[in-house]
Amino acid sequence: MSKKINFEYEGEKYVLEFTRRSIETMERQGFIASEITEKPMTTLPNLFAGAFIAHHKGTKRKLIDEIYRKLINKDELLQTLAEMYNEPIEALMGEPDEDEGNITWGASC
Amino acid sequence: MGSELLNSAPRISYSKQFYDHFPYYLSIGMTYDQYWNDDCTLTKYYRKADEINRSRKNEELWLQGMYIYEALCDVSPILHAFAKSGTRPQPYSKKPYAITEFDIEREKVRKKEIEKLNRKKAKALFSAWASKLNVPENRKKEGEDGGNNRQFRNSNNK
Repeated sequence: MSKKINFEYEGEKYVLEFTRRSIETMERQGFIASEITEKPMTTLPNLFAGAFIAHHKGTKRKLIDEIYRKLINKDELLQTLAEMYNEPIEALMGEPDEDEGNITWGASC
Repeated sequence: MGSELLNSAPRISYSKQFYDHFPYYLSIGMTYDQYWNDDCTLTKYYRKADEINRSRKNEELWLQGMYIYEALCDVSPILHAFAKSGTRPQPYSKKPYAITEFDIEREKVRKKEIEKLNRKKAKALFSAWASKLNVPENRKKEGEDGGNNRQFRNSNNK
């Protein structure tokens, strides 16, 4: 099973995940993962917003940015997002492994 | 100056990789939707399943080769150019090889039963043969019977 981030914000349940289609969409929109070190202030929120494409495509950017601002443990969150972003490409090469389980996040709201 | 060296590494496009691998996954049975929109780790399991399928196919082909080889061996006596007249081929196996655990276990049980039956038959034959012999043990037994159940087994007893 792929890694997912589950959280609830203002009574709505969110499941963040990257699929090959959502990564393809992000890249078509100009997202470049390697820019994460050069332009972290724009790349990281874009990475977070990209995780909404798979299950919450219609979510407004304003709301996504608001959730991003309020989420706790940002360092860990971004590391997890980066791992999740790499998972679809790693799954094309790696061997099946044990289920690591999904991640539950806390949103401060 | 020198800033061009910072981005000297070629940029990796994930999309290109996804499109490059897409035909392979379609060929092993993954659907468009599963590949692009479903759980991304499904590809690992499809690859593993494909390995199992290929291994099974290989075993099937090997088994087929075994049957062909056996059939050729069985028929080989009559394929001989200077075979004697009346030469007949060996009979082909009456049933397929036992390959599943269940078949192997059943075959073992069947062999044991046949062995048991053969031993029983051999024992009966041996007992019958032994009782016909004029050995002191037999004569003693007949004497104990008082001759009531005496049977003429040997012309020497008359």
